[in-house]
Amino acid sequence: MSVERAEGVWEVFRQEDEGDPMVHAGNVNAPDEELATHYAREFYGRRGESHRLWIVARDAITELDDPDLLKPPFDRSHKKPGGYIIKHKLDAAKRRAVEAAE
Amino acid sequence: MTAVAPDLDVTAREALAELLLSVADDEFIIGFWDSEWTGIAPMLEEDVATSSIAQDEIGHARALYELLAELTGQDADLIAYGREPDAFRHAALLNHARGDWAFSVARRYLYETADAVRLGSLARSAHEPLALLAGKMRREETYHLMHAEAWLRRLAGGAPDRLADAIATLWPDAQEVFAPLAAESTLVRTGLLPEPMASLHATWQARVRPELLPIAGELPAAAPTRDGRAGRTDEFRWLHAEFTSVFASEEGATW
Repeated sequence: MSVERAEGVWEVFRQEDEGDPMVHAGNVNAPDEELATHYAREFYGRRGESHRLWIVARDAITELDDPDLLKPPFDRSHKKPGGYIIKHKLDAAKRRAVEAAE
Repeated sequence: MTAVAPDLDVTAREALAELLLSVADDEFIIGFWDSEWTGIAPMLEEDVATSSIAQDEIGHARALYELLAELTGQDADLIAYGREPDAFRHAALLNHARGDWAFSVARRYLYETADAVRLGSLARSAHEPLALLAGKMRREETYHLMHAEAWLRRLAGGAPDRLADAIATLWPDAQEVFAPLAAESTLVRTGLLPEPMASLHATWQARVRPELLPIAGELPAAAPTRDGRAGRTDEFRWLHAEFTSVFASEEGATW
């Protein structure tokens, strides 16, 4: 009998209640999608703690961790919304609306 | 005890007790055999899954023993752990030791499919507590069956000879899950068991034969026998000594 190694890694995400974000729970080793689903249920759902699980083959995940793209070396502060206080803009807009109505 | 099922006469209560004990013992013993895989299943994830399923089965047995204890005024733990091996009423399918992984997978498949047919009927039992419990058990057993079928398909591809041998060995004893009960005519007449075992057996065979054909070939004609729930093997006696060892170490203790 040839022994096939169970090499597939499946990342498991869980949702606690309907509407909650899917949160990474961990991963399981499984030889195929069917058993991965069973094992995900055993590890991350058997105590009633999950409303929904996503089971994703690690190979299917596109990873981006390039610092040149994620942490660019130049000053990007002009791309951040800091210093721009929306509340003041909103107050001004409300004032204008009231004045226009009067 | 008269509070439970006051609508049943003595004959019907005894019949119901026999039915409950047979199902409870099946669940209890398969749970113990499969728990033998804890720590040595083929991979860590499977170890956890098998152990968890084995615990589920023992949990089902516990609920059934409690129903029985309410009906007869006995103690559920004493029914489970206080009987001699020959007083057990599980089907001959569960007399075998766990064997290798293919053997355990073959047995789980045969048992889960039979149990699914039986539970489908018990969910319509005239004894409401049993009908409710069977309905709850089915929700978990559906998952157990999916797990057993996943492994059956997997081994059919990876270890077809071992799997076919295991199925051929277990096939005659698997029929005995539907062995006729002594008080079956009473059970069927009162609706406690909505269908006779013989008709449940036919439903089960019609379901598993086509699934097993490509794996184990044409299996021989086989039917349940009157002694299908009697007669205990040395393998079972060994398991019985194991699972009663703690209970027997301090008789009458409150755990």
